Amino acid sequence: MRKNFQLPILAGLGAALFIILGVAPPAHAYLDPGAGSLILQGIIAGIAAAGVAVKIYWHRLLKIMGVRKDDDSDKK
Amino acid sequence: MTHKTRTEDPVHISVSEASFRDPSGFVFTHDNTLYRQVNTSYRDAYQALIRSGLYEWLVNKSMLIPHETVNGPVADEGRCWRIIRPAPIPFISYPYEWCFSQLKDAALLTLDIQRAAIEHGMCLKDASAYNIQFQNGRPVLIDTLSFERYTEGQPWMAYRQFCQHFLAPLALMAKADIRLNTLLTAFIDGIPLDLTSALLPRTTWFRAGLLMHLHLHAITQKKYAANPPSETGKTAKTRYISKTGYTGIVESLRKTVQKLDWQPGGTEWGDYYNDTNYSDNAFEEKKALVRQFLAQARPGDVWDLGANTGVFSRIATTMGTPTVSCDIDPAAVEINYRQVRQQQETLLLPLLLDLTNPSPGLGWDGNERDAFSRRGPADCIMALALIHHLSISNNVPFDKVARFFQTLCKHLIIEFIPKEDSQVRRLLSHRADIFQAYDRQHFEAAFAGYFTITQARQIRNSDRTLYLMQARGQ
Repeated sequence: MRKNFQLPILAGLGAALFIILGVAPPAHAYLDPGAGSLILQGIIAGIAAAGVAVKIYWHRLLKIMGVRKDDDSDKK
Repeated sequence: MTHKTRTEDPVHISVSEASFRDPSGFVFTHDNTLYRQVNTSYRDAYQALIRSGLYEWLVNKSMLIPHETVNGPVADEGRCWRIIRPAPIPFISYPYEWCFSQLKDAALLTLDIQRAAIEHGMCLKDASAYNIQFQNGRPVLIDTLSFERYTEGQPWMAYRQFCQHFLAPLALMAKADIRLNTLLTAFIDGIPLDLTSALLPRTTWFRAGLLMHLHLHAITQKKYAANPPSETGKTAKTRYISKTGYTGIVESLRKTVQKLDWQPGGTEWGDYYNDTNYSDNAFEEKKALVRQFLAQARPGDVWDLGANTGVFSRIATTMGTPTVSCDIDPAAVEINYRQVRQQQETLLLPLLLDLTNPSPGLGWDGNERDAFSRRGPADCIMALALIHHLSISNNVPFDKVARFFQTLCKHLIIEFIPKEDSQVRRLLSHRADIFQAYDRQHFEAAFAGYFTITQARQIRNSDRTLYLMQARGQ
């Protein structure tokens, strides 16, 4: 099952400020990625990652509570 | 991968005018064969592409152009590490000549390649729509040097380029106006996102993908445009991006592109074949004559100009002839391409082209992207039910039309449609008839100045005439 990123991203827009800042490794690309594009990527990627984490823990919680049986949805 | 080249060695080697942005290597031709030089600076990335298995995976799925390593020739010895010879692309086309679904398929291919690359520990370092070409009816990545190693934490350097080259024109075509793909001719590096955001309807602010990747993207670009670079040459705030987040961006883009849709219909000539009032018999007769003329000319390739949905182009392809099938109507080209995709046709390339204003040379020095006319000559041009559009709708005298075609082809299959025909009457119904010289005699006299007329056959059950001509001096 492919991960559904869109909803977690949208749901997490408001939480963007809480994403921990880090330092990216050096990139050697010849393109100018654009400062604004880099900032936005950081936000979207942070939200996507947070969304996936929430989804995984949500499924685990449902399993623990016996609402959902084992499936493949949280193995990816 | 363009035919237009700058001469490095006047006798042997011509470096492509479109191949100068990426220091990893460049494309050149030698004795009419296309090669790509891989520079020493790209050695590690190239080896990673091969050793990771990504190259083989992509080539097996026809997503990346295959190549062979060859011993020479060498175009720039000082920087050269390796020379490769990619499989040839029969006809180079550009994103502003693609219909909606062609651009969408090219966008999805780019994202699928990025997806596969990540799984192989690699990534795309650029996402230019000009790196995609159509081969055997399907889009394929032609730039073997577009890959680099993926390191967790890095951003996708080509994110902005993907949005400008693919997402912006697709969203504008789907949500604002199908003709806005023409903005790609005005902006060589894709449509600026602030312009895209301004042109899109407000409802698109409520679409998560379009909101993030276009509207908010445009806002952040504007906000940080003046952000001064730090001492290291990088912008002040660069985030560490986890692999999950990095993949999430690609998946989000894929979903956003996948949701964009445009249905053909309602444009000028989209229902032409159903609307015409010449008989089924005449239509079949015309098909038979076209087949007969093609068999006589035996062309190596055909350009069908004013092809509508490609009915006559398919006569050429069923005879085994690669055919470029051009029309001005986005709906007709869309229908044509969907049929290519559905039937898995390999010899037909539908393209969007306004013959009265064909694609010019674009980019640096006007030479990066070839003008349509520079991509010829074709062995054979078919101009069926076209002359009245050129000479009446656009007021082009026969002499100019004939001269234009003579520069583009060796053989010409052209249909003359007299004023009595319903299609011509329709064009003249709301305007003064200033076309006193629009008749068969003037048509033949004008074309005889540039072509030898080898066949002239009236299409039975109609007042139309089909000609087979051979260009003089060819």
